[in-house]
Amino acid sequence: MVCAMRPTHTGKAGDAMMLRVENLSVSFRTDEGMITPVEGVQFGLDAGRTLGIVGESGSGKSVSTKALMRLLPNSARLSANTRMTFVDKRGETIEIEKLRPGSRALRRLRGGEIGMIFQEPMASFSPVYTIGNQIMETIRLHRGLKGAKARELAVETLSKVGISNPSARIDQYPHELSGGMRQRCMIALALSAEPRLLIADEPTTALDVTIQAQVLDLMHDLQRELGMAMIFITHDLGVIAQIAQDVAVMYLGTIVEQGPVRDVLQTPAHPYTRDLIAAIPRLDRLEHRLHTVPGEIPSPSARPTGCSFRTRCSDAIDGLCATKTPPVTDLGGGRMVRCHRHYPERTAT
Amino acid sequence: MLRFLTERAIGMAVTLFLVSIMVFVIMELPPGDYADRYAFRKYSGTGLTITEADVAAIRAELGLDKAAILRYFDWIGGIILRGDFGQAYAFETSVNSIIGEKAWLTLGLLLVTLIITYVVSIPIGIFAAVRRGSAVDYGLTVFSYLGLALPNFLLALVLLYFANSWFGAAVGGLFSAEYADAPWSLAKFWDLVKHMWLPAFVLAWSAMAYQIQTVRATMSDEIGKLSVTAARARGVPEGRLLLKYPARLAINPIASTIGFDVNRIFSELPIVAAVLGLTELGDLLLKSFLDLDMNVAGAILLLLTVVIVVMNFLSDLLLAWLDPRIRLGG
Repeated sequence: MVCAMRPTHTGKAGDAMMLRVENLSVSFRTDEGMITPVEGVQFGLDAGRTLGIVGESGSGKSVSTKALMRLLPNSARLSANTRMTFVDKRGETIEIEKLRPGSRALRRLRGGEIGMIFQEPMASFSPVYTIGNQIMETIRLHRGLKGAKARELAVETLSKVGISNPSARIDQYPHELSGGMRQRCMIALALSAEPRLLIADEPTTALDVTIQAQVLDLMHDLQRELGMAMIFITHDLGVIAQIAQDVAVMYLGTIVEQGPVRDVLQTPAHPYTRDLIAAIPRLDRLEHRLHTVPGEIPSPSARPTGCSFRTRCSDAIDGLCATKTPPVTDLGGGRMVRCHRHYPERTAT
Repeated sequence: MLRFLTERAIGMAVTLFLVSIMVFVIMELPPGDYADRYAFRKYSGTGLTITEADVAAIRAELGLDKAAILRYFDWIGGIILRGDFGQAYAFETSVNSIIGEKAWLTLGLLLVTLIITYVVSIPIGIFAAVRRGSAVDYGLTVFSYLGLALPNFLLALVLLYFANSWFGAAVGGLFSAEYADAPWSLAKFWDLVKHMWLPAFVLAWSAMAYQIQTVRATMSDEIGKLSVTAARARGVPEGRLLLKYPARLAINPIASTIGFDVNRIFSELPIVAAVLGLTELGDLLLKSFLDLDMNVAGAILLLLTVVIVVMNFLSDLLLAWLDPRIRLGG
């Protein structure tokens, strides 16, 4: 279940959630002054569920998840009211934003509780160590196994992600493997620590389409088998439809719409979501030109006033969208949207 | 790997051949040859008149009348087959007996210089990159530009002055007077160590400054790589992470430029040798050029270039060992 975006929403159901993110705002000090690529992001995730986060490049998807792992550079600042809580394997609640850099608790969270895989499987591995070296490092750190035991587990995990002849592959270097194989190894690396949550940051974007489908299937199966929760970041709504139960659509650092995948895809409430859905190429509509969202995503340093999407919105309301930031509207059924088109209808009374 | 080795070895052999030809050409350049000098030295002051025919006879006797190409093969053949570098004009003895020990001293000085260079520049470069943008980083950057800009004979003079006035040490040369001609012993070796640090430091100066910048630049690059973020995301402790991932790759460019450093050190050797009164090959090279003693100069040039070429080969091997992408042909 996705929890509410509203700051006021605190309920019993929310407290049981494995991951809760509230008021997540990230600012960077740059030469052109402060920019805020992520502002007021709220979401939650139950154990074993998959949340898809979708948005264009620059929408703040990756920054949000890096903040969850405390992987942002030193120039980044979280807002004072940012809250990120995570219930770990032992049932203890970790307040992620309060963890000290370099602390044992943070190192245990990274990898051990939350695993992460990235877009570029080649660049995610260091080229000078074997795949096995890097997987066994994770096993040593989080499973307390050494030597032959660690190797055995690494081989086992590699075979679990569909690597053939894993006992030979384990001694190979990243450049000796194909792109799809490398991403499988990266998944194996993340899984070898048995995290409760896996963050996948566009894991299939750099792969061939056929390999993409295989890797998606694999992740889907493994998740079900291991009962692991997943945050799946992508710019591709088609991928979200295949793998996620809930979806959050991000635009310029805020979540503009979220809810169960099926509902959001069938009856999108936000104009941006509608545009994204229309932009999915479809084989049965080949006679039409490809639809694109008009214009380009503005830079976070030049965020439009009022609703940040209004500059590209075909449905903007004159005088309102440019001046007032749309508040979050609860549409019921776990659906939220941040758009004036929905808000006035509900408050007109 | 075997193919890589063979390719590099063949490359090295070809380079060495070309180098030997160039050295031979340099040896041939000055006017006059050994026969002229031999005749001059033997008969000057005796009142005898020497004719062209006498000189030609000496030339024939020494085999110097042969075509240049034959003399090249005599010369290089002697070096390769018997380790014989020929006759030194100025000293009336063989080149080998003049160079002999000095060659080993030079090689020793080179190794100590390289060790100082890397022991200093690698940790400092890594540190500067980790703390980049900090006061320490700027300080080190200024220091290393100073290192590049300051000619090292000047540095040698300054250090010589301070070493002398502060420690009262006689730091010139490679040995104290009492050990200079003494046979090798532990005491003599210790004396050498005490003398060698200063010239080695002076010679390492610019290579050090250069390599600090190299390590800093590569390390800064590597720290931002996704593989480092990925390692951090799997909970690797920061200190171990820096050493295992970015630092491990930041030393690759060092390994691949050892040959350049040797080159740099050798080109600075003669002038530093002159300032510090070193009695090794640099000093001898300068002298033999002044005396037009081309066999000695040629032998030294050949030795130095061979060291450079061999070090380049070794640096290729080292890089292959360090980087599996090269070793396994990726």
